[in-house]
Amino acid sequence: MKQDRRGFLNTLLGIGGIGAIASIIYPVFEFLLPPESREPTVSSIKAGAIDQYEVNSAKILKFGREPVILIRKDSGEFSAFSATCTHLDCIVQYRQDTKQILCACHNGHYDLKGRNVSGPPPKPLTEFKVSVINNEITISTMEG
Amino acid sequence: MKNIIRRAYVLFVGTVIFINLPSTVRAYTLQDKVDNCFVCHQENEMLPEGFSENDIHFTSGIGCVGCHGGSAIEEDEEIAMSSKFGFIGVPDKKDIPATCGKCHSDIEFMRQYRPRIATDQVSQYFESVHGKKLKQGDNKVADCTSCHSAHSILPVDDPRSSVYPLNLPETCNHCHGNSDLMYTYKLKSNQYEEYSKSVHGVALLEHRDISAPACNDCHGNHGATPPGIQSISHVCGTCHVNNQQYFEKSNLSTIFSEAGFHGCEECHGYHSIPKPSDDMLGVGEKSVCIKCHDSGDVGYDAALSWGGKLNELRTIHEHAAEVLAEVVKKGMNDVDIDFALKDVNQSLIQLRTFVHTFDSKLIVEKADEGIVLANNALELADKEIEEYYNRRIGFGFATLAFVILAFGVYLKIRKSSNVKHES
Repeated sequence: MKQDRRGFLNTLLGIGGIGAIASIIYPVFEFLLPPESREPTVSSIKAGAIDQYEVNSAKILKFGREPVILIRKDSGEFSAFSATCTHLDCIVQYRQDTKQILCACHNGHYDLKGRNVSGPPPKPLTEFKVSVINNEITISTMEG
Repeated sequence: MKNIIRRAYVLFVGTVIFINLPSTVRAYTLQDKVDNCFVCHQENEMLPEGFSENDIHFTSGIGCVGCHGGSAIEEDEEIAMSSKFGFIGVPDKKDIPATCGKCHSDIEFMRQYRPRIATDQVSQYFESVHGKKLKQGDNKVADCTSCHSAHSILPVDDPRSSVYPLNLPETCNHCHGNSDLMYTYKLKSNQYEEYSKSVHGVALLEHRDISAPACNDCHGNHGATPPGIQSISHVCGTCHVNNQQYFEKSNLSTIFSEAGFHGCEECHGYHSIPKPSDDMLGVGEKSVCIKCHDSGDVGYDAALSWGGKLNELRTIHEHAAEVLAEVVKKGMNDVDIDFALKDVNQSLIQLRTFVHTFDSKLIVEKADEGIVLANNALELADKEIEEYYNRRIGFGFATLAFVILAFGVYLKIRKSSNVKHES
């Protein structure tokens, strides 16, 4: 009987001990291999190398929880704006033929400075700062 | 002698007033000479009703003589207001457009003040219903002064102006809300009442959104006329571009045209246009389709199908938004779901516009595209919620493990202490 009680106690200690160790190791392991998640507020993102972007083209990128449109103009310069239309929050796109930013939902147009030039958008797109350092593009908020 | 005293008095009073006038008012004087029309009329409290010193002509140096003729320099009123100086007094109603047009149709003259100003107002006016009726001798119709006033005219971009967008509906309503006057033209007089409750009226008058259309945006201003059957969808299409283009290319456009129906107006109304809702499509109580289509016909079935698809997408979007809110509440990663939902929202908005194609294939495709996106968003959300519960279960197990450990340690210590006591 005594042997049984000792055995039970050791088993209890074993389970508790292993569980406690697992409870400590698991979060450490998860910390070392974090799930794919983004920081809650983003002030800048890397947008890759210049060569990835053709002249007179654009790409929608994720800037935290906001879509951003990065445009490479004919001159080779880059501009970035919030890709959310100021009318009803549709995602805008770049029109290569007219060299304007278009919101296809209600045919709103913005120029390459983000200014609303026709259609229903009530105000310009928010502009982002684009810096190119060693051929790498960084997009950041105007406030930095 | 009397005349000399009178002249001296006018000169003295004029000089005193001139010296004391603010610079803006002084600006109206011609070549820095006193405008005796203003001096005398003010002195004798005979300024015209509604006169304002902020009047754009007055502040630009164009005095009374600009419209009424006469001389502003002559001190003798009989000479000043004589035919010798082209005095015309109050212009006849029928002559008002021409009186304004003397300057406003003269590009050379107008360029001095506003290089970009239009100078076709008078010719447009005579193409309007107002202008045509005035030409026919109708003295009750609107002339330039009816909308712009006569002596307190302000530029259109001045919020105090009677033709500033926020004030324009009220200005039109002065005449168009007069039931007795409108009765003579067999016109309704409740347009303002209807308009002010419409989606446009609420945006303009309540939300003070001056990009919302006022009366002139659909009817024109100087050339004001009701839009005709052929032009109504173009008028709406000046702002609702996609809707108009889709509708113009649709089969329904041809059918409407042949039947003499007014494009957009048939479903949306005109002065009292309500904010569009998804219930307008389908076969429910608020459906506009069933105004023409009865159960069993092709249009009815199409309305049923499109309304169902729109409803399905809206419902799944709302459900996904609720699930997203739950993910946020649980503190899980909502960024990707939020992105996915933006696409669903876009599909929903586009579908509402696509409805104007009246093309089953396109409408169903767009709806299905949105539904797939919504399901993807829901899948992501479900994973996050599952992860949340996995973490809770894991935390529960960890807590249980610590409790067992603590209990085991307690028993072990107690046992060791008992052994010590026994030995």
